[in-house]
Amino acid sequence: MRETILSIPSPTGPSTDLLKFSWEGTLLKEIVSIVGGIHGDHLNGIYLCSRLIRFLDAVEAGNEPDYFLKGKIQVIPAVNLPALQEGNRLWSFDDLDMDLAFPGNDQGEVAERTAAIVYQHTYDSQFGIILNNADTHYEDAPHLVCLNPDGLTKDFARSLGPQNAREPEDSPTLRLCLYHQWIENRMPSVILSAGKPDHLNRTLCETLFSGLVNSLLWTGVLTNKRKKAKKYTVRFNNRDNEQLVFADAGGIFLPLVQSGSKIKKGQKIGEIVDMYSGAVLESPLAPSDGYLVTLRDHPVVYQKEVLAVLLRKQKFSLWPF
Amino acid sequence: MESRTIASYKTPSGQRVEIAKQSFPSVRKRPTKRVAFVSSLHGNELEGIYLCHLLIRHLKNLQQTQPEAFQGEIHIYPAVNPQAVAVGSRLSPFFSLDINRQFGGNDARSLPAQSASELLDDLKSSADIVVDFHASNLHLQEAPQIRIIDGLHKKLIPLAVQCNVDLIWVHPAAPMFESTLGYNLNQAKINTLVIEAGISLRLNKEFADQLFRGMLNLLHHTGVLTFTGSPLNIDPPVIAHPSEVVLLQSEYAGLFVGHCDLKKNIAKGEMIGEVVSATDGEVLQEVTAPASGFLFTLREHPLVYPGAPLARIALKEMDRP
Repeated sequence: MRETILSIPSPTGPSTDLLKFSWEGTLLKEIVSIVGGIHGDHLNGIYLCSRLIRFLDAVEAGNEPDYFLKGKIQVIPAVNLPALQEGNRLWSFDDLDMDLAFPGNDQGEVAERTAAIVYQHTYDSQFGIILNNADTHYEDAPHLVCLNPDGLTKDFARSLGPQNAREPEDSPTLRLCLYHQWIENRMPSVILSAGKPDHLNRTLCETLFSGLVNSLLWTGVLTNKRKKAKKYTVRFNNRDNEQLVFADAGGIFLPLVQSGSKIKKGQKIGEIVDMYSGAVLESPLAPSDGYLVTLRDHPVVYQKEVLAVLLRKQKFSLWPF
Repeated sequence: MESRTIASYKTPSGQRVEIAKQSFPSVRKRPTKRVAFVSSLHGNELEGIYLCHLLIRHLKNLQQTQPEAFQGEIHIYPAVNPQAVAVGSRLSPFFSLDINRQFGGNDARSLPAQSASELLDDLKSSADIVVDFHASNLHLQEAPQIRIIDGLHKKLIPLAVQCNVDLIWVHPAAPMFESTLGYNLNQAKINTLVIEAGISLRLNKEFADQLFRGMLNLLHHTGVLTFTGSPLNIDPPVIAHPSEVVLLQSEYAGLFVGHCDLKKNIAKGEMIGEVVSATDGEVLQEVTAPASGFLFTLREHPLVYPGAPLARIALKEMDRP
């Protein structure tokens, strides 16, 4: 079902409609919510939602013969539609970060009303997924983000495909995000981050799409006569396990590695060259062995900026109990 | 006057961006109090920069003519977000981050978050009282006022009444304040007053002169400066607690046309403005005062969406709940 959950009239042009898509089986108590486009530059997430909508419409129409809807699935593909349509991360009318507006206010300004309606439609779900990409200027290898996950959330994370999970900083700003509102409501949830802002990587999205369908199978809202949900291996990295590589100089950053690769201690991450002369100002090295989860994408860098985030090898990958 | 750089970084072209601090030391070995003034966390809020200019000019002159007046220390940070000031933007350019939402975390990764952390550390080590100057955003015009989070009012109102503002607004606490400079300094037991006056990207000389007298009075009241001349004329402010402020909002998308002036004692039923249709000549909403009081916020940006704030009134005592 396609539903307009909020219509924002414009002073002059057409209204901006916030859409929710949902599909229902017989077990209506089981709800999985998937939310994309909280920022206008989260294009992989928005495209992934469209893939999912096409697939679930086909399931509902009986055109995916092995799949059946059992619970309820709801997808809000583009939360920050004004910013998306403007081609920006934030809507320039207010410059407010939509992901610092939750749980919102249904009597407030546009960002607050949008946040409120998204929260109201999702907070009582059994599971939640937020589709993100890297922050401005960076590229993320596919990974999950979850704060203090319990056993159920860890199992949910294992259904999605990415092999690494990171811990966000539990800061005042995180507490204003949709993700934090969900977990405060004891809703097992994850953020799935992959790719870079303002880019659409279709190959990457196809891989993530398979993982999303697998997670729907795992939660039981979707069933398949022939196949069971897979359980992938996920390494849950805490914040201390992240090693940052900072720029000591400002200039042009020329990476020599790719996000999603394994890096050896002492390996050259790239070079920062003087933007006028091309002289090499710095050759940052990996401070330890690790998995390169985030890499600087925008070549122009300021001194002290983060160039790369490595997930270090953990001393104990398995606990004996 | 002593000039110092509290934080710096190099741009991609190799130039250095510095956050400057101007200090006026005490003639005493043990200063009576240490007061700091901070301006332009948001680069489009220019009122505070001008106020810092007035303060520095006055204090430099005083230092030459009456050095014994400096019983305490004064520190002035005129432009703590210099790159944002240079382009007149609320957010830090290039990073698109609001530096006044970067405080309170333990893991500063972005450059604005690092600058925020360095500023906070410097203020904690050099001030007992901080005044954080802000103008409003692009949408609203604000009468000179001090905003205090409910719970801090007993400590802060005695200082705030010295500042020659029109209003002291004690407003409810909200999670979004936890990432601001003012909140984090107050949490660190450094009394911090957050002043709002005017509108972004404009200067109001009348407001600046009013606040300048207030800041000198605050310095005098706290024993930081001694005066030999005639006393400063300071008007007592209206003090409004959370339930004593009414917010008027737009019910429609359209254009707001104001019909009255800011800083006005308004009578119940008096016309404040209209929301008109941008396309068909209709008046959509007549905005009138629901009660008598002091009009301290008035919308300046004509474009409105439903929920947009239009005006705030501090209720007269007889109309308070």
